[in-house]
Amino acid sequence: MKELADAELVALARSGDQDAFGELVRRYQRPAYSVALSVAGNHQDAEDAAQEAFLTALQRLDDCRNPARFGAWFLSIVRNRARNLVRRESLRSGDPIPATAHSKEPSPAKAAQLAALRSRLEAALQTLPEVQREIVLLHDWEGWKHDEIAERLGIPSGTVRSHLHFARKTLRAELAGWKDDE
Amino acid sequence: MNDGTRIEALKAVDPASASPLYWDRFRARVLEKAALELAARRTRARTSVETVLTAWSRSLIPLAVAAGLVAAFLAGAIAWNDPAPSAPPAMALEDMLENEVGEGFYRTIISGAGDGAPTAFMALVEAGR
Repeated sequence: MKELADAELVALARSGDQDAFGELVRRYQRPAYSVALSVAGNHQDAEDAAQEAFLTALQRLDDCRNPARFGAWFLSIVRNRARNLVRRESLRSGDPIPATAHSKEPSPAKAAQLAALRSRLEAALQTLPEVQREIVLLHDWEGWKHDEIAERLGIPSGTVRSHLHFARKTLRAELAGWKDDE
Repeated sequence: MNDGTRIEALKAVDPASASPLYWDRFRARVLEKAALELAARRTRARTSVETVLTAWSRSLIPLAVAAGLVAAFLAGAIAWNDPAPSAPPAMALEDMLENEVGEGFYRTIISGAGDGAPTAFMALVEAGR
């Protein structure tokens, strides 16, 4: 399918076009997971919330009043689904984020080092406010630019920069003991 | 910890780092669960097209009748305000002869005076055919 704008994909998906909806899923699955992970804090809940959010979005697609801003609308659904899931399953112990079985590290030692770093990073992420977790994941992991995040989260670009700055500052402080060559 | 290391570590949060086809499977699962809703939407879309066409034809008929009535009314009003011009009076033979033939010649022919009057008159009639 050629590169269509979100609004065009939404219009097609409203008529039941599976390819269009599939393209929306492909486009937003990783951001959805990032946002859900920011809220839920564990892989399994993040995955469930992201999947449920896509189905909820499809059912409510006619309520998306501005299809050009589908991203912002959809990510708010993801956030709400993740919050509901956390509330609903607050007693359930979450599964950890799956370990990287085959990562890109050149050596097992490096892999172990990154796995340890990942654990610390996950713990550090949990110390951030939810919005800062979302922003740092969307920016540093998903690779979205400040303006994209601002548009899709519905907040000013300056606020995104500010949140990102404070998130990184907090992460640096939380991981202060970590040395790259450790 | 530098930014590069932190970003590299964040990539490890990606489930695809452990399972390269993770996102393909994720998408497939979503589409599988969405199949019923998408099918229902396709059905609704087809139905709504028929509904629109039916509604369109239903509204078109009274619209056409109304347009016809308006056209008839306008045509009547125009005819009422601007009656057709009467036909121009037929030109009398005398007038025609008056215009076509010089006055003196005409008098000569009618009166029968002059030697060539009948001949001239016939020549005039022949020429008018």
